[in-house]
Formats: sequence, C-alpha cells, structure tokens
Amino acid sequence: MIQVLEALLFSTLEYAPALIFASLGAVLSERSGVVNIGVEGMMRVGAFAAAVAALAVPTPVGVLAGMAAGAGLAAVHAYLCVKWRSDQVVSGMALNLVALAGMTFLLESLYSPTGTPSIEQLHRWTIPGLASVPLLRGLSGHSAMTYLALAAPFGFHLFLWRTAAGLRLRSAGEKPAAVATMGISVSLLRTLAVLGSGTLAGLGGAALSTSTLDRFEHHMPSGLGFMAVAAIVFGRWTPLGAFGAALFFAAGNALRIGLASSAPEVLEVIPQGFLLALPYVLTLLLLSTRQRQSGAPAALGTAYDPEAR
Amino acid sequence: MAEPDRPRPQAAASASPGFSGAEPTAAEAAEAPRSRLAEAVWASLPSALSVALSLLICLLMIAITKGSLSLAGNAYLEMLRGGLGDLETFGETGAWTQLTRPWGEAATKAAILTFTGLSVAVAYRAGLFNIGAQGQMTVGAITAAVLGAKLSLPFGLHAAVCVLGAAAAGGAYAVLPAVLKLRRGVHEVISTIMLNWIAISLVENWLVVGPLRATTTGNNSISGTDQILPTAVLPRLLSDGSRMHFGFILALLAAVATWVWLFRTRLGFETRAMGQNAEAARAAGIPSARRALQAMVLAGALAGVAGSVLVQGTEMRFPATLGAPYGFDGIAIALIGETHPLGVAASALLFGVLRAGGTRMQLLGVHKSFPELIQGLALLFVAGRLIWQWALTRRRKRAPAPAAAAPPSSAPPAVSTPGAAAAGGGA
Amino acid sequence: MAHPASPASARAAITPFVAVIPGIELESARLIQLSHITKVFGKVVALDDVSLDIQQGEMLALVGENGAGKSSLMNVLYGLYHPDQGELRIKGERVRLRGPKDAIARGIGMVHQHFMLVPTLTVAENVVLGREPTRRGLLDLARAQREVEATCQRFGFQLDATARISELTVGSQQKVEIVKALHRGAEVLILDEPTAVLTPQEADELFRVARGLAAEGKTVVLISHKLKEVLAFAQRICVMRRGKMVASVASKDTDARRLADLMICGEEGGAGARTLQATVEAPTAAPVEAAATVAAGAEPILRLDGVCAGPKLTGATLEVRPGEIVGIAGVDGNGQRELAEVVTGLRPAERGELRLAGKAGKLDPHEARHRGVSHVPEDRLLHAIVGPMRVDENVSLGRQQQPPFAKGPWIDFTGRRERTEALEEAYDVRPRDPSVPCGRLSGGNQQKVVFARELDAHPRLLVAVQPTRGLDIAAVAAVRRRLVEEKARGTGVLLVSLDLEEVLALSDRIYVMFEGKVVGERPRGADERELGALMLGGAAHG
Repeated sequence: MIQVLEALLFSTLEYAPALIFASLGAVLSERSGVVNIGVEGMMRVGAFAAAVAALAVPTPVGVLAGMAAGAGLAAVHAYLCVKWRSDQVVSGMALNLVALAGMTFLLESLYSPTGTPSIEQLHRWTIPGLASVPLLRGLSGHSAMTYLALAAPFGFHLFLWRTAAGLRLRSAGEKPAAVATMGISVSLLRTLAVLGSGTLAGLGGAALSTSTLDRFEHHMPSGLGFMAVAAIVFGRWTPLGAFGAALFFAAGNALRIGLASSAPEVLEVIPQGFLLALPYVLTLLLLSTRQRQSGAPAALGTAYDPEAR
Repeated sequence: MAEPDRPRPQAAASASPGFSGAEPTAAEAAEAPRSRLAEAVWASLPSALSVALSLLICLLMIAITKGSLSLAGNAYLEMLRGGLGDLETFGETGAWTQLTRPWGEAATKAAILTFTGLSVAVAYRAGLFNIGAQGQMTVGAITAAVLGAKLSLPFGLHAAVCVLGAAAAGGAYAVLPAVLKLRRGVHEVISTIMLNWIAISLVENWLVVGPLRATTTGNNSISGTDQILPTAVLPRLLSDGSRMHFGFILALLAAVATWVWLFRTRLGFETRAMGQNAEAARAAGIPSARRALQAMVLAGALAGVAGSVLVQGTEMRFPATLGAPYGFDGIAIALIGETHPLGVAASALLFGVLRAGGTRMQLLGVHKSFPELIQGLALLFVAGRLIWQWALTRRRKRAPAPAAAAPPSSAPPAVSTPGAAAAGGGA
Repeated sequence: MAHPASPASARAAITPFVAVIPGIELESARLIQLSHITKVFGKVVALDDVSLDIQQGEMLALVGENGAGKSSLMNVLYGLYHPDQGELRIKGERVRLRGPKDAIARGIGMVHQHFMLVPTLTVAENVVLGREPTRRGLLDLARAQREVEATCQRFGFQLDATARISELTVGSQQKVEIVKALHRGAEVLILDEPTAVLTPQEADELFRVARGLAAEGKTVVLISHKLKEVLAFAQRICVMRRGKMVASVASKDTDARRLADLMICGEEGGAGARTLQATVEAPTAAPVEAAATVAAGAEPILRLDGVCAGPKLTGATLEVRPGEIVGIAGVDGNGQRELAEVVTGLRPAERGELRLAGKAGKLDPHEARHRGVSHVPEDRLLHAIVGPMRVDENVSLGRQQQPPFAKGPWIDFTGRRERTEALEEAYDVRPRDPSVPCGRLSGGNQQKVVFARELDAHPRLLVAVQPTRGLDIAAVAAVRRRLVEEKARGTGVLLVSLDLEEVLALSDRIYVMFEGKVVGERPRGADERELGALMLGGAAHG
C-alpha cells in the first residue's frame, strides 16, 4: 500500500509542475482583468522552444528560452487585448490555433513529424534525509521544476495579497477606473500581467519537454493548458486554490497512468476515458453547484477605455 | 438646433460582440450615408485583408525555412491545385478527375467547416461563445456512426435518420452549457471547454476503444467503430473518382436556411437583438432565456451534423480520432466570415480549398497541415479588427461634420467580450 | 471674462514691481491658472479657449448644463485630459501634467461623480492605493490603517478604516473619496456633482465639511448644475456654456435666474432662460385639467400592496390612476429601481399584491406590455436601445411580433420602415433616416426614439425612470412636455427620478421611498425639506 502511495506521490509531482506553472500564469493574467485561454498555445511554444534550444545550449538555458517564447506569444495577446481592446477569448483561441499549426509546421520542417531529438533532461535532485523514508521518498528525486512548482504558489500568494504591486494588480481586475484615477497605468499593469502569464505558461511547457519528457512531442501540451483554465476556475482565481486544484488534477492523471501500467484490470471497470474526463467533470460540477459567487475578478474580460467617462 | 454632445459614455455592459454584422467605425459617423452594398463590402474588408496578410506571411515562412521564395510559390501553387484542380493536366489529358477529385476533397472539408462555422456563428449572434463545437461534433459523429451501423432502414431514409440523430445528439449536448449559464450563471466559455474534453475523453478513450470498438475479423485490426451500412452513406455527387458527397449540398442549404432564420424571421431578429443587448431585449419582452437556449440547441445541432457529415460522407465510421480540431476551426471560420451565415459558407469554401490542397504541399516538403497555420493567423488578424479599422480610416478624407451626428471618442471604443464580462459567475 | 494673455516674459518683468504696489493681486495668490485651454474629441469641441483662475482658499463653483465642459475642464486640471492648446500654471509655475499622478503630486485632488473605489478592498486599502506604505518590500497594512485613521481624525470624518467599501453607504463612500484626496495632501479639492446621489441632509453635511476645509486654507471647486446649491455654497461662480467660459460672478451679485440665462444663452435676460425656469422653478402647466381627470375617481391602473422584491424592495404600497403623474422620490438605492422593474415585469414580485390594469398574477416584460405598460428606462443605451441595430429595428422592439412589424413569423420590412418614418416625423428625430444605427444618434434623439416607440403602443401606464438623464436643457423640456401631454391623454405616468426638483415640478402626487418602503405620500406643492427628511427616514449615517 505504502509503495502504491509513494509511486502515486512521485508521479503526481512529476506531472504537476507544468500544470501548476500554467495555472499560476492564468491566475496572474485574469486577476488583472485579462482573460487568457491562450495558455495552451503558450505552453506549446514554450515546450518547443525549450526542447530545441536545449539541443544547443545547457538545458536550464533552454528552459529560459521556453519562458521567452511563452512571453513572446503573450506579447501578441497583450498587444491585441490591452492596446486594441480586442475580444480576449478570440485572441486567446487564435493564438492556440497559431501555436498548434505553427509548431507542427516548424517540427515537420526542421525535425521529424513525431518530435524533436532527445535532449538532456534537467538534473534530478535527491533530498538526503528523505531518500530512506518510505512514503516521503516520493518527494525526492525530482528536477528543480518540481521544487520550484511547490514553492511558487506561495510566492504568488504573497505577491498578490501582500505587496503594493499585487494590490494594484488586483484592483485593476476589479475596478480599473479606481486604479487609473490614482495615476497608475492600467495598461501597463495588465500588459505586465499578461507577459508574466506567458512566461509562466512557457515555463510550464518547458517543464514538459525538459523534465517530464526529454523532447518536444508533437501533441504537447495535449490539453494541459485547458486543464489549467479549469484549475483556476476550480481554485477561485487564487494562486493557492489553483495550486490545490492542479495537484488534484495531476494526481488524477498520475493515478490513471499508474493504473494503466500496474493494474490494468481496474481499467476494465473504470475506463481510461472516465479518468481522463474526471477533472473536467469535477470542475463543471463545482461550478454548477456554486451559487453565483464564483470568485472571478469583477472586471475580468472587460477592456478598459480611459476615454469612456 | 444642433445639440451639443459631451463625450458620450460608452455602454459599458453592452453584450455586443465585436463582430456583429456590418458595423462601421465611430469615426465614419459623419460620412454621407453609403449604399448597403458599400457598407457590406467595407465591413468585410478586415476579414479579407486578414486572410490576405496571413497568406503572405505564411508564404514568407515557407520561403525562410526552405530557403527559397520560388519553392514557396510553388508550394502555394500545389495547394491551389490540390484544392481547385490541376488545370494544366486537365487541359492536357481532358481527364475530369483532375478537377473533380480536388473539388471533392475541398467540398468534403468545406462541408464540415461550414457546419461548425455556422454552429459558432449562430451562438455568437445570440451573444454566446460556443467553444464546444468540437465536443458537440464528437457526440454527433458517434451517434451517426452507431445509428449508421446498427439500424436497418432503406437507403436515403437511413442516412436522413442518422443525420437527424447526430443533430439531436449535438443539440442535446449543447443544452448543458446553456442551462448551466441560464440557471447557474456558469460562463459558457468555461463550460464548453470542459464539455469538449469530457466528450472527447468519453468517446475517443472509452466508447470507441471499448463498447463500440469495431469487431475485428481475422488479422485486420481496424481502429474506430464498425463501418456504417451502405444505406446510411451520404451519396456521392460526382464521378466515383471524387469524394464530393451530399453533405456539401446539405452544408450550402444549411447556410442559406440559417441566413433566412437569422435575418428574415422575427425569431431570428429577437435572437440577434438579444445577442447585441440582452438587457434591452429582455425589457422589450423577448424571452431571452428561451431564445438563448434555442440558439445553443441549434448551434449544437449544426455541430452535430458536422460530425455526421464526417462519418457518413468520408470516413464511413467513427475513426479512432476525429483528426483535425474541426470544432475549433469553426471558431476561425465563423469569425473570418463575420459570423454571417453566407460569410461562413464563403470562408469555409476558401479554407476547404486550401486545406484540401495541403496534402499536395507535402510533395514539396511542406507539412500537410500548413493551411491550418494560414487559418490560425487569419483569425489572429481578424481578432485585431480594430487595428484594421483604424488603419483604413486614417487614410480616408473626412468631410467636416455637424456636431450632432458624431460620437467623438478619439480612441477605439471599448469592446466587451460577449458575455465574458463575468467569466465563471453571474453578472 | 477671459484674462488677456500676457507673455510669460512680460509677467516676469512686472512681478518685482507689482509686489511693491498695494491693491494689485499678487501672482502667487492665484493658485491655479488655466489659460486658453482647448480640447477636442474627434469632432466635438469640449473646451474652446477657456481660461480660469482659481485663488487659494476660495470656494468656487463651476456651473453649466450637461456638455458645457465643466467636467472636461477639471479633468484637464487633474491631468486626465491633455489640452490640445493652452497652458496650466500652478503657483505661477508653468506645468504640464502627464496624468493624475502629477496632479496629485501637486496637491490637486478630485472626487468623481462615479466613485473610483474598489468594492472588495477596505477603506484603508483604497485610500493608500498608489501610495502604499511598505515594510521590507511587503505591504504594511497596519501602518496604512493607522495613517488613514489619522487623516480621518484630522479632518473630522467618522470612518472605519477596516470596513469593506461594499458595506458602506453612498454617503460614506463619498467621504472615503474625499479622504483619499486629503490623504495625499490635496490643497485643491474638486468635487464633481457630489450631491447627485445624496439626500438634502447628506448634501448639507457635505457642504459643512467643504466649508471646514476651506476655512483651513484648502481650495474647493464645486462642479454642479444645481443652482440653489451653488448659490448657497460658493463665493464665486463661473458659468460655462458649450465649451466656453461665459461669466465669472460673485455669488452675492447674482441669482438663479441670471445664472440660468447665462447657462442657456450665454448672456443675461435671454429668451431661453424661460425654458429652464419653466422646468426648474414652477410646476408645469395644466394642473387644473389633471385634477379633473383624476377626480373622476377612476379605477387605478396600477396598485401595489406590500410588494417585495429582492433585498431592496421591502414593502411598497402605492397606486397610480389614469391621467395623473405619480412621482417616486428617494435617494438612489432605496428600492425605486426595483419598484420600476417589478411594475414593468423585469423582476418578479416576491410578496404582496400587484394589480395591473385590474388583473393580478405573474408579470414578465411581455405580459406587462400586453396589459398596456410602456417603459422608458433609466439607461437607454443599456436597457432600451440596441446600439448597433438600425432605428427601425429599434422601433419594432417590444412589438416586433405584431403588425406592422411582422407578418406571421416573417419580418415585415416595409411596414416597419413606414411606421418608423412616420414616428421620426412626429417626434422630430434627427437624422430622419430609419436605417441609421441607433447608437449613432445623439442622446436626445435616442430618447425621442424610445419615447416614440413606447408611446406609439398607446399605453395605459407609462413608467419613466430618470427620463431626462444625460440630456441637455432643450431635450429635458421636450421630455417633460411629453409626460404632461401623456397625462392629459389619460395615461397614468409613474415617474421615478433621483432629481427631486424634477419630481416636484411634474408630479400630481409624490411617494417617498426609503429602505424599500413607501414612507410617505404628499400632494403637489410639498415642501422639499420635508421630503428630504422622509427620504432619510430618520436613520443617521456617518
């Protein structure tokens, strides 16, 4: 039993970072008032850029390239949505489609249709004390991504609720006019938030191609970006809530994969499809039962027009 | 007496989708009124320009990655040949298949895209964002596949029943997000995204590999479900060399019918009014909840038929996976087509041609899903609609105007995402 | 009144001499100088060569009708608008404000008409937003609280720094806005239509506070269109009209009529002043005929008995008879909106009895229209008009399923167009084109379209909520005339207005609402102060 739990813990911590980073990114953007469902696309370019860069430079530097790629795509989103007040959902979907087709195109043109060549994965760290403890052993042996992903949500919580910048960001998402009349630029806040969300999504994608796997695989991130959106809704648009939801979803994923390899007979009873659908079903159930108060920032999705008085 | 206007406050909560019909910019308010045709042409410029710009950029992308502009040009030619027909070879050999085969490929893709595009467009006009076309299509497709394989009916009737079944399934699947929105204020963008993945997971990762898996005979392992019976197949329209089938006609009919419904009937008018200003519509006595539900059911049904067209026209079963994200493509098709049924048909035709041509691009080493990139970029540029309007109006000369007619905002007006103003929650 | 522009160099040359000569104003006493400010939005000239000097410690009022430019001028002063021409001097020094931040840094504070507060944050958080105290990089909320409490005490405000904005009354929220400005060291306080949402008593309180601030040496600029208020509060009154500054007078040297003249015609004694007079001062014409129609003891077209709806409407009892205008007076947020919604079917009545046209039973907008209710709602762009749709399409709203707008399930394009053309003619809608998108019409014309459509349905009850909001004087007069005409035609009119003057001018009977109940009924000619007291109901808010 302990071994099963340990394996589950280990797998969860393997799959979680990508989802956690992406969710944090989505929280950042949406807290400032900009809907970002382009997280899927930003993860994809991040995964690709990291895997390709890591062919030439040390993998950690490749991760940085992934983050930059995510930020680059987010820059387009920010430009369209903040400066030109375009429809935020459309922009996000368009970026997803562009990333989907674009990375396929680059992959085909430069490498092979199935994926990029293998790279050296990120180094894995063993935590000395835990390596011998039965259950907690699962915490050890992960790459820096995992440990960063475990700490980052708390950092973001601190940022949003305990810093001046976080206060301003949250205000921009609730009532941008209040922020603007204090002489603070709503556009700048939102642009930075969107760029940040792209960077984080890119980091999440890089986690997939440099830590979970060792290359960019042609389907990445296979819907994880949308799962991140589910996670932030589930977590009421807070970093810690999204963190919890992401862990939960990742655990579900790990369970499914674990069952497929070690206990396939369980899957006869509960088909893979059910387990795959589970995170979404749960989110939907949660949304349906919650009355009205969803926790979404009040000004989410509404473009801010300073001239409209 | 000209009434002096102070800078007018924008209607902050107007649910007006930014792509509604023919809507010139505020800056043109002072222009002399133009004919309806001119207005329509003017309004569709951003889409046309977006597509053109996208084609250009993608051309350059091929040129850069392959190192040759002429190769890129040839790739585009191959794409056109693949979609419109190889005119030179036809001229030489006189073989109709040189034309009918590409037309068939283009038509089959265009048919599916028309349906998913109409699905998104209809919902959009009602003020709802139907991201769930993919899931609805999946549900429709599996229904058509099952009805096609299990029922035993005469030719024609069988096909019709399958199509209707798919429509019903898609419509029913779309009722869920509609009800969730109306009763619980759950934003449809989120619920439809969830439902997409639920449908895909349950159908592709359970039904198709489990209970509905094709029964294998001998060594043949076929993926997907059982073949549908010949009586359920949508008949071919042209010679046997071409895959063009009746679904194409259905698509065109659906586009026209949708147009009539939206713009000629009172129900359609009420739906559009509701989509552009839900509050005003409600105050006018329009039963908004009912219209919204009707629109979503229609949208779901259309997407469901897209699934049945795929199954009954091309694949003859539900394949292991639907393949292309037709549902998401529908979003691009709809918006590039200005969410107008006829525009949707036009843009579906265009991209049907381009995508059919994609397979021929492989001859020159370009991945066959390249046209999807053109599509995605075109959508991105369409999203920046206001940029086009700004760029285009800068050059036009403006006649001095009476103060009364002009809304004076010097910045682009605020565009509210349809319904996204309270994402995930009630207003 | 515009000060002649003198080149800066000439001023610099004169100043040393001026300082020695008594009786001539010193430059430095002029705290703020706005010179030849011009601001254009697209085609509308919001400010046309406007100049204004503001002295330190004065209580100045800026008046004008809607669209005159008073808010625009102050937005320039606050850095929200950048002037296309002209310059701004603060304490004699030429200044270019890049945004509110610069203005705040120079001691200019503004309290807007629509509060700029974040509802989910506390008072302290809202006040320090943009100037947050930090400790080792993190927000120091304790210190913020202390500092805000100190500011409140210093200026005599009773506010709980830890209260969430969403929990405060409107009057308290406004105080938070003022504290926000004072906390940043504002020396000049601009109040933009502050009493629009206050009761007479709360307004008195506000002016007491403002006078106290002025006594401390702060400068207060009041933007308003309420002449009585302005005459009572300000020392000096500047009048703006159509983007121009037309007059600057000491308040003791003028009166409401002269100010009205200036506001409307730009000079005193003009004929246009009578329009404002007619609408502002005396009750409208034909009270005698109205009394005759109503006195016939007609069956009420609308009767409410203890009707409750939502959290805000807690028990309304009133009635409207044919041929009378019934006004609902009350401070914003006391249930009037919900009342109008219930009567027009937009909101279900949860308890109590509602009889409309003699019938009780569930009401929705469709049913309400069927029974003869027409509705001119408060925010036409939000509730009455679909902006992107054409005028004729908008005219059909509400009756779109009937002839002449429809033939069975099909739209009757010809019938619709013809009816619209007729209505546009009758109501003088400009431009006279049924195919123009309705959102492109000016506010006054849009309201005409709404009235035309609603009255064309020949209602038995007309519910008009804030019907003159956002309109200029001539349009306001036209709307009020229409209401009186409807009354004469035998229609019952339910008028909900936050403008007490308007309610007093038009109504045959007035109900006062407080906290969701009808707390009093008064006939035409009631005393404003008495109504104000009823509007406050006896509960005192900080």
